[in-house]
Amino acid sequence: MSAIPTLALRAVSKSFGMTAALADMTLELFPGEVHAIVGENGAGKSTMIKIMTGIYQPSSGQVEIGGAPVVLSGSKAARLRGVAAIYQEPMVFPDLDVTENIFISATGAGLILDRRSMRRRAEALVGRIGMTLDVDREAGGLTLAEQQAVEIARALSQDVRVLIMDEPTASLSAHEAAELRRIARSLAASGVAVVYISHRLEEVFEIADRVTVIRDGRHISTRPVAEVTPQGMIADMVGRAVGNYFTKMASVARDEVILSVRGLTRAGVFEDISFDLHRGEVLCMAGLIGARRTDVALSLFGVHAATAGEMRYKGQMVRMTSPAQAIALGIAYVSEDRRKLGLAMPLPIRSNISLATLAQYLSPLGLIDRRRERGTAMAYRERLNIRAPDVEMAVGVLSGGNQQKVMLAKWLAMKPDLLIVDEPTRGIDVGAKAEVHDLIRAFVRDGGTALVISSDLPEVLALGDRILVMREGRQMGIIDSARATQEGIMAVATGQSEAA
Amino acid sequence: MTGLFNRLSPQGLRILALLAVILLLLAFFASQIDGYFNARLFSRISGSVAIMALIATAQTLVILTRNIDLSIGSVVGFTAFAAGNLVSTNPEMSALLLVLFCCCFGACFGAVNGLIVAYGRVPSIIVTLATMAIFRSLLVEYSDGKSITTNTLPAWLTEFPNLPVFTVFGLEFRAAFVAALIVVLAAHLALTRLRPMRQFFAVGSNPEAAEMAGIDARRVVFSAFVLSGALAGLAGLMFLARFGNITVVAGLGFELKSVAAAVVGGVNIFGGSGTVIGALLGAVLVDVIDTSLVRWAIVSEFWREAVLGALILLSVTTDTLFTRRLVAWRAARAHARREAALNQEARP
Repeated sequence: MSAIPTLALRAVSKSFGMTAALADMTLELFPGEVHAIVGENGAGKSTMIKIMTGIYQPSSGQVEIGGAPVVLSGSKAARLRGVAAIYQEPMVFPDLDVTENIFISATGAGLILDRRSMRRRAEALVGRIGMTLDVDREAGGLTLAEQQAVEIARALSQDVRVLIMDEPTASLSAHEAAELRRIARSLAASGVAVVYISHRLEEVFEIADRVTVIRDGRHISTRPVAEVTPQGMIADMVGRAVGNYFTKMASVARDEVILSVRGLTRAGVFEDISFDLHRGEVLCMAGLIGARRTDVALSLFGVHAATAGEMRYKGQMVRMTSPAQAIALGIAYVSEDRRKLGLAMPLPIRSNISLATLAQYLSPLGLIDRRRERGTAMAYRERLNIRAPDVEMAVGVLSGGNQQKVMLAKWLAMKPDLLIVDEPTRGIDVGAKAEVHDLIRAFVRDGGTALVISSDLPEVLALGDRILVMREGRQMGIIDSARATQEGIMAVATGQSEAA
Repeated sequence: MTGLFNRLSPQGLRILALLAVILLLLAFFASQIDGYFNARLFSRISGSVAIMALIATAQTLVILTRNIDLSIGSVVGFTAFAAGNLVSTNPEMSALLLVLFCCCFGACFGAVNGLIVAYGRVPSIIVTLATMAIFRSLLVEYSDGKSITTNTLPAWLTEFPNLPVFTVFGLEFRAAFVAALIVVLAAHLALTRLRPMRQFFAVGSNPEAAEMAGIDARRVVFSAFVLSGALAGLAGLMFLARFGNITVVAGLGFELKSVAAAVVGGVNIFGGSGTVIGALLGAVLVDVIDTSLVRWAIVSEFWREAVLGALILLSVTTDTLFTRRLVAWRAARAHARREAALNQEARP
């Protein structure tokens, strides 16, 4: 690679006050390559992206584009030089339609909008990335995958030389993710330098030409993907050799049936779900996005009452109609959407952990006993290894993995009998994933029971005693995880084969 | 009918619904009040709408960017007073110059709000609540407790609002109303057709994404306040011309009326969506109720405000419920279509 890099970071450092987010970072991106960047959460990936897209200015060091040093003062300056980024949470304007979303940041274009030609060009761009979309629809009503396509089309609407994709597939189903990878590859083939950031290592191996590992704000290695092994990459990321985080643990399921569901149906959403959940068991629900797994969980938790079927909880027939009822029965639900449903971001860790169990901290006068609240929060910080100097810190400033642990702590503080966890490790790093797995394992060992929804197949295999596979609102079967394979689950989830 | 229902945007439907509500209200009042429809009714409502439409448009610009301007009434009052002062000492000044003066004068107040909100990053509800009081006190100080009276104003100014421009079906369209309609239409065209103005919607819809897309969100918010101030200044001139007598309480309560008109007109209070045409119809609706209740014997003067408030609540509630349903229903249908298409693909 003797060519001139499209974009290069030369000994770039960035500090915030006392903490160095990036130190002496060097990176070269060449036209036509897919360059994966991996690292644990907090390794400095997002700081690096923000420097490449002009949102942050380096404290020292140099950004080069086409071999010449540049100062990117703001995202518009970066955009004008051909650097664009798309993110895990699509940055669309929900109230504007697809066409307007694509051309909103068009610079150098005329003052007056030519709706008809914009519409035509929007259709062409959407077509170029192989999607079919009604360009007159408001972006708020699109699926995540479609919103991401809109973002890519927006990036392509102007000259793009570097496209940074930050965890683009974290929220997508397997099929949609494959589609997105295809788009990324074809962009690289047309000469764009694609930066691909992902926690799904198998994805990195599928798509990348070269892989850069960063840790603690430092560059660790850059190698052609053919020369890297998954285990070696993980070792580079965490700075120590780790055992396989997919380690399967022995089941601690007992005979007692905690939850028995027969023919559970919510008209028009899902139908005929039947399973028994034993004490100490971890039942995983696998399936693609749109399989309606979360909807089943929400019905079990009483958010949306089921319209038919029956549910027995600890032998008693119950009709779950509200979360309050479910909580009173000892059922907890940890949502997949931390931001929207799970955590109060501006509040401290302490208040978030006590949120669902506030009644336990009331003094006889009905006031909140802060000392006790703080004590519980500190205990959970210890037990769950939440990395925060103080429990008074706002949850919003923690990394994704630590936020996830705060959320788990909130529900574990309730001491539930049945814990329903929705996508517990989405968007968090390998180390934190293993910790979350350990927590769930410890919970069932202590007599709890867990229902885990996950799209991460290695996780499903490692965590679940049995795996319930869903497809488009129907239960396709329950597989014993000892006999299951990723390929096997995927085949059932996509309807290619029947569950054994 | 279903075809039309499917094609129209939620905003378009809202405008149709508003028109229907206005017509129903007119029919209702006509059945209650003898001799309800007359030439005076139209000129009264249109004269009042001329001012309301301007402040509703001004408020809409700000609300679109996920902000609010509570100081609008003080700006209207101050500008009316200052313009009155200016024109009574220089009765021969050109009308164009006076219009320019009012726009710039109002824009200055808007710039103060905009600077603090956009660059000081203080929530607009706090900033404009404070400036509402400050601007009003400044007016009291500036006016020295005096008022502008009609007889000090040149005749061309006070006669302007009532100049007939044209007549349709016996309804006389007067200059103030026509001028306001032109301004609203210009604002509508600018918002829908000008690239920089589309960024108002982007910033209100998703400020974070706007930043990421390279939009200078602070400049957009600042511009919204300045433009809104200029329109409020224009409304101040209109106010002066219509009423002639300006005291320090001129424009009091306009912040509420302008927000009400915008919101009834379908402007999302959380920013990102809405039209000034909707806000105009909202202003008309509010004025129809306001003007008609005075003449309705069953309801005493005392209840006027309450009925107005209840109607605002009712219209906004039904409207949001309805729109939300519609959007959900359309999304579900689009999903079903997509699924069907996928199945079609999968089959062969």
